[in-house]
Amino acid sequence: MVNPRDRLRSVGRRMTDPAEVLAQQVTERVLDLVLSALDVNELAARVDINAMLGRVDVNTVLSKVDLNVFLDRVDLNAFLARVDVNALLTRVDIKPLLDRVDVNDVVGQIDMDALVQRTDLGAVIARSSGGMGTEALDAVRSQAVGLDQFVDRWVQRLLRRKHPAPPAPSALLPAQAEP
Amino acid sequence: MITGPAPGSYQGHYAGSVSRFVAYVIDLVVSTGVFSLALAGISYGVHVVTGHSVSWNRSTPVVFVLFVLWEFVYFGYSWAVSGRTFGMAALGICVVGADGSVAEPRRGVVRALVFPLSFLLCGLGFLGILVQREHRALHDLLAGTAVVYAWDARAARLRFLARQAQLTEVPEITGTPPG
Repeated sequence: MVNPRDRLRSVGRRMTDPAEVLAQQVTERVLDLVLSALDVNELAARVDINAMLGRVDVNTVLSKVDLNVFLDRVDLNAFLARVDVNALLTRVDIKPLLDRVDVNDVVGQIDMDALVQRTDLGAVIARSSGGMGTEALDAVRSQAVGLDQFVDRWVQRLLRRKHPAPPAPSALLPAQAEP
Repeated sequence: MITGPAPGSYQGHYAGSVSRFVAYVIDLVVSTGVFSLALAGISYGVHVVTGHSVSWNRSTPVVFVLFVLWEFVYFGYSWAVSGRTFGMAALGICVVGADGSVAEPRRGVVRALVFPLSFLLCGLGFLGILVQREHRALHDLLAGTAVVYAWDARAARLRFLARQAQLTEVPEITGTPPG
């Protein structure tokens, strides 16, 4: 027994299927015609981008962006390779930076004795000091300075001077430290 | 050029009596030696050219005048040009202006001219080196000069430390290890 409803359905399908295909083809054709006739530039010119962007909550967008993932994907080496460091440095004014550095203070903090004893600087000084001749000269001068001070002390005592004499001419005295 | 004293250095301080005396003795020996060599050279030249031998007697007025002139040239030229003689350079002392500035050549010449006055007053002119507060002799006061240490004791100490560091350095063992 064949259900009369199934028959009707079969007949209906035979009629609707070609009609559906035809409708799809017609729609595609119409869309092609519309798009070819549409001036996209003119359409974009009519759109107010600023107004559109004004309605976008950028903070919300950014909060959804994972910057770590983004940075992981960036090749910083490739980026830096494209940077002209020399050109960048020529635009940097080093002088104001150096003016703020107290070089005397920096040098004053260096322990020269330790530096000479522990680094190659000592070897350089020893090589450039002229060896025995300089050593002998240093010794003679040291002895002479020691005797100078010895004699001077005795003379000061004999003369009973209360105020010490200036150690050096005014132009050679070290500058007084500012408070 | 003399600079102000570095920490631990006497550079720029008034030089004492012993250093100045030793420097003068060295200068006297050197200048007399050069003068004697010059006289010997002249005698040899005269003997080669004329065949006659010439003997110089130091007590003769000509030789005495030549010697005084030579001493004036030796000291005056040295003080005018560099502010130090050979002996002063050896002892690390230097002639400067009374205020410590570089002594002009004029002062060097004047100092050499008035230098004999310190001798002629029975050596009292030199007493200023001992008792005057700035260790200035009579010829220093007349010429407006002073004598200071131009020697950096601090640098000498660094040289000493450098030599010590080199001496105490453990020698590196070379060659293949045993076994």
